[in-house]
Amino acid sequence: MTTTLDRPTTTAPARTRSTALFVGLALALVVLAVASAGIGQLHVAPSEVVGSILHRIGLDWGPSPAHPNGDAALWAIRFPRVVMAALVGAALATGGALMQGVFGNPLADPGVVGVSSGAAVGACTVIVLGLAFAGPWTVATMAFVGGLLTTILVYLTARENGRTEVVTLVLTGVAVNAVAGAALALLTFLGDTQAREQIVFWQLGSLNGTRWPYVAVVAPIVLLGIGGAVAVARRLDLLALGERSARHLGVDVERLRVVCLVLVALLTAGAVAFCGIIAFVGLVVPHLIRMAVGPGHRVLIPASALGGAVLLLAADLVARTAVPYADLPIGMLTALVGGPFFFWLIRRTRRSAGGWA
Amino acid sequence: MRAHHRRGPAAALAAVGAVVLLAVAACSGSAQGATGRTASGGATLAESTPLDDPRAFEGPSTAVVADAALDPVARDPKPTLPATVKDAQGTTVTVTDTSRILALDIYGSTSRIVYDLGLGDHVVGRDTSSSYAEIADKPLVTANGHELSGESILELAPTVIITDTSLGPWDVILQMRDAGIPVVVVDSHRGIDNIGGLVRQVAGALGVPDEGEKLAQRTETAVDAKIDQIAAVAPKDPADRLRIVFLYVRGQAGVYYLFGKESGADALIDAVGGVDVATEIGWDGMKPITDEGLIKAAPDVVLVMSEGLESVGGIDGLLERLPAVANTPAGEHRRIVDMDDTEVLSFGPSTADVLDALAVALYAPGPQR
Amino acid sequence: MSAVLAAHGVHVRFGQARILDGVDVAVAAGELVALVGPNGAGKSTLLSVLSGDTAPDEGRVELDAADVRAMRLDELARRRAVLLQENRLSFPFPVQDVVRMGRAPWRGTAREDADDEVVARSLETADVSHLAARRFPTLSGGEKARTSFARTLAQEPGVLLLDEPTAALDIRHQEALLDEARRWARAGASVVVVLHDLTLAAAYADRVVVLDSGRVRGDGRPTDVLTGELLTDVYRYPIEVIRRPGVDELVVLPVRTAALLETR
Repeated sequence: MTTTLDRPTTTAPARTRSTALFVGLALALVVLAVASAGIGQLHVAPSEVVGSILHRIGLDWGPSPAHPNGDAALWAIRFPRVVMAALVGAALATGGALMQGVFGNPLADPGVVGVSSGAAVGACTVIVLGLAFAGPWTVATMAFVGGLLTTILVYLTARENGRTEVVTLVLTGVAVNAVAGAALALLTFLGDTQAREQIVFWQLGSLNGTRWPYVAVVAPIVLLGIGGAVAVARRLDLLALGERSARHLGVDVERLRVVCLVLVALLTAGAVAFCGIIAFVGLVVPHLIRMAVGPGHRVLIPASALGGAVLLLAADLVARTAVPYADLPIGMLTALVGGPFFFWLIRRTRRSAGGWA
Repeated sequence: MRAHHRRGPAAALAAVGAVVLLAVAACSGSAQGATGRTASGGATLAESTPLDDPRAFEGPSTAVVADAALDPVARDPKPTLPATVKDAQGTTVTVTDTSRILALDIYGSTSRIVYDLGLGDHVVGRDTSSSYAEIADKPLVTANGHELSGESILELAPTVIITDTSLGPWDVILQMRDAGIPVVVVDSHRGIDNIGGLVRQVAGALGVPDEGEKLAQRTETAVDAKIDQIAAVAPKDPADRLRIVFLYVRGQAGVYYLFGKESGADALIDAVGGVDVATEIGWDGMKPITDEGLIKAAPDVVLVMSEGLESVGGIDGLLERLPAVANTPAGEHRRIVDMDDTEVLSFGPSTADVLDALAVALYAPGPQR
Repeated sequence: MSAVLAAHGVHVRFGQARILDGVDVAVAAGELVALVGPNGAGKSTLLSVLSGDTAPDEGRVELDAADVRAMRLDELARRRAVLLQENRLSFPFPVQDVVRMGRAPWRGTAREDADDEVVARSLETADVSHLAARRFPTLSGGEKARTSFARTLAQEPGVLLLDEPTAALDIRHQEALLDEARRWARAGASVVVVLHDLTLAAAYADRVVVLDSGRVRGDGRPTDVLTGELLTDVYRYPIEVIRRPGVDELVVLPVRTAALLETR
């Protein structure tokens, strides 16, 4: 037997890899944010973007935007949009990571499983019926309720003995998406022209028209959700062992599941409330992070949040600039990339799991 | 490559949806260029010979205004500024500068009013529906057809924006307010009854109330006179009046709506002495048609927008795609009247001319096309 | 000896079937108890009841005189560890992270400081140190089993419940695992091991509990309980128990004479 025990090699290379990842993502976020704020029909140079921010906080450094409406364009259109994109991307990716942790399945994503469309139905009900019982928070509240209801439905249907079978998960998602689609169709019929336009926009996803009041509603919801996710991250690792084994290690599995589902509903509501259905971010980002630094949730959750923010910012930039004068629906872009990725993920999971696990 | 893949249905749907959307985006992008100049040079009612029995006429006709040229009531008026108005939503807006104006709505009527007030030189951009010669070269601020682009607007640095709620997204309008540009929201209802009102609202916002009053009265007088003129030509007996429906048709995807009450189509049809079938069957707003309803309503004439008609493949295409229409008297007699999209429901200062053109197409259509 | 873990009058029913029919079992500190019996005897169910997972329809289980079902989950996790038969992992964690999961109940306590050391030691003991950085799903069945065992060891429990831990292991690792289990027992823990291999049970257990159709048919020292008579009856197959020549060990074997094979 060995007498001197080498310290386990968990720490050194894995930790440097995660640190590198965080630094890289944070850097990418800042660079992309500044670039994205400047690019568009009204062009503002990056230095002017930074200058505008500095001036706003009282430091007279850096150049102000040259165009007379440059500053206005930045603060009324671009910055809210950039912040919203980061928030929504972070919410979607974190929601995906949570969903995957709770269901123990890398294919669980709020969109695939129908939670986003449930939240969309909630939001569209507000639009069509003109509800306003909570003022500016009405849409977000109903999105939360809708998202929570579908989450519960998916959970109850798909789980069995602490395991969820992939097939059940996907089928439940199909069913929920179908029902939500029908509900949205009904709302479309009932609504007037303006409401109809908004519903169509829901199903495509768009960050066009983001304003600070909306950011003010979404930000606390998303930050709360991500904070909660970080708090449960450790326990999610243990869920990977299976429900019974996790219990043996002291995890109140039922309570953890409920907490996570509420968090997923919260995050999805924040993401969907003003921007519509944007799918696949919750599938792609956590998967890429896992491939880079492994499945440990303490790193996965915050890294997914950052990664999601970066991804959606990039997607929004493309949505705004790919076709001149057009604002492509961002949900379409994420589906264009995420769809094929989903195919690939299915094949890969099947191969490594040796069939449907 | 293996033959059988277990596909996530969501992913398959998404992929298909993506392709469709790309196509739509491309189509709507290219549709911008298609809106050229407003057609002009049609016959006037005064110089045409009306038919004895408008119902018996067979064949389509296109309503073309006689003279699409603008006729401002003033040349370079001096606005009284600052102008403080309470807009149609009750917001108090103060306009201090009218040197760079944007007037945007889905009908193109507000921009037309600005030109007719004599302030056309100060207009810096246009919406998709404003396609008359004087404004056609100004930059477009609506992307994707009728969607407002905040950045395009800001780039033009307007000092005042006049709009109604017909163009969206509404958030873009709010963003303009956030950016400090005064936005005056005028009434979005279009009808014979408030043409004058619309003119007065726009004029008030721009600080030219006197010119506005002049234009409003001129327009109202012209419209009233035109309605009387048409009434003289149209069948007296209500039972003989032409039964007219206004259809919105667009493209291959089967999007067909019936314009009902409050859409402006009812006022239009009344003004040209026809029977508004949609009002008769209690149709509200703009909703998809049911075949049975249309056949039962048995219209004599179907009114459509020119570009819409073209997008479904002309008269033949329309009758093929909408068998319901083909089974109405209008369809059997091929009595389809089309008019330029930007004119027909705009209810702007040119309303009298539009009514005239429609009356000609309905009652004195001339030789078959 | 006062029992650390004791089941009193446990009944478990599933519909009409009686899975456990009035079971009384006690394990004291420093004891290794082997739980044996034919398929369907109720061994795994009993283990599940002992670990606090399943609530008995009647009776109770006490750990240090406290009802196991009433105890807080994290408290329970610090007192007892369970090794199940299935070794599944939803995500491809590396072996050392899986073993480290065993330290979870000690988070926030002073013993957390010893985490690295305990994990290293557990890896070593289960002979999976060389696999520390390997991803769990890439391991063989036996390696997965040993990793899971290392995880339960890392929990440093006072009570160790093992459900057929040797099923996937080769001879060398079987012996090593049970050897380790016995060492834990000697150090003061209470260990319950469900085993199919009766010879192994005889070799390592201080006591053997024979379960049949939900009832305890024998509870005592291996030499007393593991008799050809009882086993033949319980397993409904001719079994003989012999002494290994020259060593004080029992060997349990099925009787395979030619005559018997013919009559089958």
